[in-house]
Amino acid sequence: MTNIIVCIVILAIIILALAKIYFEKKKGAKCVGCPYSQSSDGSRCRYNKRM
Amino acid sequence: MKLALTGNPNSGKTTLFNAITGNIEKVGNWAGVTINKKEGNVKGDLNKTSENIVAVDLPGAYSMSPFTSEENITSDFVRNENPDVIINIVDATNISRSLFFTTQLLELDIPVVIALNKSDLNQKKENTIDIKKLSNKLGCPVIETISTSNNNNGLQSLIEKVIEVKGKKQTTPFSLKKVNMSDSKSVEKLDIDRFEFVKKIVATVENRKIHSNKQTKQDTVDRILANKLLGIPIFAIVMWLVFSISQTYVGPVIADILVNWIDGFYGVVEGLLGENVSPILSALLLDGIIGGVGAVVGFLPLIMVLFFLLALLEDCGYMGRVAVIMDRFFKRVGLSGKSIIPMVIGTGCAIPGVMATRTIKNERQRRTTAMLTPFMPCGAKLPVIALFAGVFFNGAGWVGTSMYFLAIGIIIVGSLIIVRITGQKNARSFFIMELPEYRFPSIKRAIISMFSRAKAFIIKAGTIILLCNVTVQIMQTFNWKFHVIAEGAENTSILATIASPFAFVLIPLGFGVWQLASAALTGFIAKENVIGTLAVVYSITNFIDTEELTLISGSTDVANTMGLTSVAALSYLVFNLFTPPCFAAIGAMNSELENKKWFWGGIGFQMAMGYVLAFFTYQIGTLITTRAFGVGFIPGAILVSVIIGYIFYLMHKGEEKAQNTIAYNA
Repeated sequence: MTNIIVCIVILAIIILALAKIYFEKKKGAKCVGCPYSQSSDGSRCRYNKRM
Repeated sequence: MKLALTGNPNSGKTTLFNAITGNIEKVGNWAGVTINKKEGNVKGDLNKTSENIVAVDLPGAYSMSPFTSEENITSDFVRNENPDVIINIVDATNISRSLFFTTQLLELDIPVVIALNKSDLNQKKENTIDIKKLSNKLGCPVIETISTSNNNNGLQSLIEKVIEVKGKKQTTPFSLKKVNMSDSKSVEKLDIDRFEFVKKIVATVENRKIHSNKQTKQDTVDRILANKLLGIPIFAIVMWLVFSISQTYVGPVIADILVNWIDGFYGVVEGLLGENVSPILSALLLDGIIGGVGAVVGFLPLIMVLFFLLALLEDCGYMGRVAVIMDRFFKRVGLSGKSIIPMVIGTGCAIPGVMATRTIKNERQRRTTAMLTPFMPCGAKLPVIALFAGVFFNGAGWVGTSMYFLAIGIIIVGSLIIVRITGQKNARSFFIMELPEYRFPSIKRAIISMFSRAKAFIIKAGTIILLCNVTVQIMQTFNWKFHVIAEGAENTSILATIASPFAFVLIPLGFGVWQLASAALTGFIAKENVIGTLAVVYSITNFIDTEELTLISGSTDVANTMGLTSVAALSYLVFNLFTPPCFAAIGAMNSELENKKWFWGGIGFQMAMGYVLAFFTYQIGTLITTRAFGVGFIPGAILVSVIIGYIFYLMHKGEEKAQNTIAYNA
């Protein structure tokens, strides 16, 4: 019985960690947890062109 | 209602954005911190209407004619995204420069409200600006703001004015003549006329107490801090102080308290599990999850103190001076002086550092900077530095400082190599950086920066590092037939068999054992994993207070537990710091380099640099300390010679290509 409870606790911790990674990635974070590494909006540079 | 926040770089847009939205976006006392647009809702206490106001913080721009990608974002947004009102943040200490962009914004037929920011600094300088006259001349409201202040900051009036002008027609003060935009001479003439117009306005509204030909206190300080001879030693002393305070004095004291809590928690869980639980499950929970994650989290106070001090340095304007000091060296090796900005940002995290290379106009310099920025020790590498400095060098401040200077040295050498490989060794660049005003650093901003880093660190420890530790624990518990390995047969575990071939290559570097090799491998997922994996494979849950090792291994010395000499430990540290960064940063490199040849070349270069440096560190260090070369010197020397020879071959090929190009052009 104790083994089952420990197993459930470990699985719950792993699932929570995976869920956090999933939601962070969904929000656009390139590095999970990093406060300033949200993904770029994809706009590229038009170098040396004066518009 | 959509609100665009625009203005010149370092005019305080993001600080104002944070103040009106309550967000905590990264700010810095220099130009080029914001490279993407950010959105947030204006706080309820400022917005008295029922309408939701979305503020969009845009990267700084000097004009509506963009030169770099982040300026392009600003220009595209105000032209194409139909903001209802534009807040143009104007640096009150430098209106003559800012109003050029303002006059262009006023031509877009979108209501503009000017936030005359940093008004407090202007008052300190005893300069005055006639707000009413300026507003009349430009044909738009002007509100004085101090976005760094909590009281009387003008933000309430600013938002009220924004609501008031919404939907109103905007007049244009500068009479725009019809100009053929494809004719560069006509465009230049228009720019000159615009500058003249701005100059006339400034002359009538501004009364400057100190004129530019007089030396200010700031100039006097800069003569010392940005001096070409004194600048570098001062920077070295500053960094040494930062590392000593964070990793020798203040950090470990707080860390000791934290690890005692973690140890206490470990003990409680161990007691709850009792002896009826399967040893595999018990080890997974105690050593893999609590011990592994706890070992990493134990370094949190050291990181927090370090980031607090770095935020103070950045906020007071010192880091801007460091960019100027470094420019001298960088432009000689073909980098842009602007390259220092991504590199300083990279000391927090390599990903935004690599992304910040967009501010560099020249493509080769931009790619070279993106390739070299990950060499700067990022926040994730700091616990690794702290661990090795603490365990092998008694927490000496010189370890961290020397790693920063080694990184700068590698960047300079790396750039020299890259300009030769790409055949552009004669390329030179000029860097004009607007030096930020010195100011008393904001404790509040430093605390915000420190806690946002701490939050990031905890999230990473609780997600990626936790999962990696669980995987490592499972991989070292079972063999490939998924049988639990017997005691003394650790070499047959899944982890050992995967890491052993890699460990073989690392023998000439002084750490050719599977435990250290597996920690280096997991470090590519996230650098903090080096600590987590070392904790799991050596069953060390506390790197801060090593007394507990007596119970585990009969030794009070982590060095003995790991079987490393100080020289080998330094080599291991160098290897982990200067080989390719984590996968997330590699992904950022891939998207910014926009070229497979550059990308794979960059990864190969980083791997080669880390290996060669670690080899020299171990072999030369061993020669000095024991008067004999270390293990695996001959095969290592052959491998390193091949790497260096190949780099020289590429440089030679690049120079030939450059000479052929010169001959062809002639």
